[in-house]
Parts: sequence; C-alpha cells; structure tokens
Amino acid sequence: MSQVREPAFDRAIALVLRIGAYAAFFVMLAGVLATVIVDGQIATRIELAGVLIMLITPVVRVFVAMVLFLREKDWKYGAISAGVLMILLLGSLFGIGEH
Amino acid sequence: MTTVLLVILGICAGLVGALSGTGGGIIITPMLALYFGVPIEQAIGTSLIAVITTSAASSSIHLQRHTTDIRLGMTLELATAFGAGLTAYLVGYINRTALEVLFATFLLYGAISILRRGGKTEDEQDEFAPQPSGNGIAIPEYEPKRVGLGMGASLIAGGLSGLLGIGGGPIKVPVMYLFMGVPLMVATATSNFMIGVTAAASAAVYYRRGDVVVGIAAPMAVGVFIGSIVGAKLAVRVHSKYVAILLTGIMLYLSVHMFVHIVGKFL
Repeated sequence: MSQVREPAFDRAIALVLRIGAYAAFFVMLAGVLATVIVDGQIATRIELAGVLIMLITPVVRVFVAMVLFLREKDWKYGAISAGVLMILLLGSLFGIGEH
Repeated sequence: MTTVLLVILGICAGLVGALSGTGGGIIITPMLALYFGVPIEQAIGTSLIAVITTSAASSSIHLQRHTTDIRLGMTLELATAFGAGLTAYLVGYINRTALEVLFATFLLYGAISILRRGGKTEDEQDEFAPQPSGNGIAIPEYEPKRVGLGMGASLIAGGLSGLLGIGGGPIKVPVMYLFMGVPLMVATATSNFMIGVTAAASAAVYYRRGDVVVGIAAPMAVGVFIGSIVGAKLAVRVHSKYVAILLTGIMLYLSVHMFVHIVGKFL
C-alpha cells in the first residue's frame, strides 16, 4: 500500500471522475432547463439520464482502477477492486421488487 | 417553479458546504423531508445523487494533487460499500418514524460537535480550492497500520452512509490519521475518494426501490454542484468561521423542526 505517487494512475482515475461528474451535471442541467421550459416526459427522461450517469460513474471508476491494477500485474489490488465492483453490482440487484 | 426553488436551495447548500468545509449534504435531506413533503427514505436516496456529484468532482481534484492513496481507499471501500449497501437495504424495512428520529438525532449530534470544536468544521475538504502547484506536495513515507481496525471503522462509516445518506468523513479521517498512521492530507483525500463509491453502493439500492426521486435529485444536484464550485472560489482556502456557525444554526433548527414534526405525528 502507501504508494501514493503514481501520477499516471491518479490522472486516469481523476479523468474518469471528472468526465462523469461534468457529463452528469450538464445532462441534468439540460433536463432541469427542459423541465422549466417545456416540462413533460422528455424532460424527465433527460434528468433520469443525468442521474444514471452519476450513479454509474463510481462503478466505472472502480472498473478502470481494476484494469489498471491488472495491467500492472498487481493481482492483490486487482482482486480487491473486483470485490468492490461485485458489491456495487450486487447492490443494484437488491431492492428490486420492493415497495 | 418547485424545480427552480430546488436549484436555488441546492446552490445555497453547496455554498454553505464548500465555505464551511463540510459538504453541506447533511442539510439537504431534512429540507426535502420538512418543506417538500418528501418521505424521509426518499429524501435520503435523492440527496445521495448530490453527494456522488460533489464527491466525484472534488476527489478528481485531490487525485490531481496526488494526495489520494488509491490502494488504501479501494481496500477500505470493500467495507464501506458493503456496509452502505447493507444498511440501504435494511432501510426498506425500517419504520419511517424511527428513521426520522435517527436522522434528527444525528443532525443534532453533528451540530453540537461542530460547536464543541469552536465553530471549526472537520478539516475534511477544501473541495475545489486552488492547488498549490502541481506535484510539489511532499508526503512523508508511511505504511498504513491496523488495516483491520480501519476496515471496522469503514464498515460503520459505510453503514451510517447507507442509513442516513451522509459521507462518513468524520469517522474515516480520524481513524486513518490517528490509528493507521496515514498523513492527514492523505487521509482527507482518501476519505473523499471513498465517498463516491460508498454513496453509489447505497444509492443503487435506493434507486432500485424507487427511493430516488429523479425530478428532485437532478435540480438539487445541479444546484449543489454550482454552489460548491462558487463557494470554493470564494473561500480560497480560508474556512470562514461565520459560515460554520451559520451551518450549525441551520442544522440545529432543522433538527428541532424534525423532532417537533415527529412529536406532532403522535398528537
């Protein structure tokens, strides 16, 4: 652990997060503007798309980290990332059909 | 109209959060519950979207300063994500009033702990503050100790996050810093890094259950995002004590209002 300084690795993960956050922000913003101006089904769909981009971004971040670890042949952290990914995917399976 | 109001409220929450260094997410949930008639479990699920948005944006900045320990973060995320997913799942079976009591209590506790530190909030994030020049930050060598303890604390932090929709930084940062031998700067950045995945683990469960109200989550997240960026530009590294006091006041007020609301249900 503790190898904080891996600039390329940091940058790759930062890029994923940044793209995700800004993409989600602008899509949600478009949805919000659409809601204010026209409202209706399409506006809600756009908002939903933004929300989903935001929900998926952390999952993509874990996936990209896993790939980067595996490419470095860092099996331990590749496996840990895979574990986190599994938990995230499991979470999206639970809760179905309630309410 | 409500949409515009939600954006404005989000901007205020983001501003206060960035200026006080707490994130501000904590006041969104009770406002949604009290003033927009959103059931508490939906208010929590909905505010998680704003939490993920700000966490993603701010931790990308920490990453570019190379102060985040990705390996440590990923390891502890096993525990935070598991804890968050589990409690998010359990929320589906918890009595709504019990959840309101838990939230109001936590809000009160949060306000009091800020007051006790003399108006200083957790030195958790100076989120979007300008960076002090590229790679020039010297981080002392360290090796995280007591990883098991860290995992335990992360499980609790994650559990709280899934239950109440909060980040859990006030638990993770001190544990990493005081017990695991992680430098404070790294502990802060790494805690921030973990919030997104932790919140996503619980948000997925809330979403599946129908507890993320898209029409509210989107304007709220948009507002908080704008507010955090503007707030960070205004703050320029100085955490205003007055803003922290303002935040404490808002938290106290919301907490008391929630308790009154809960008691009112039984009268």
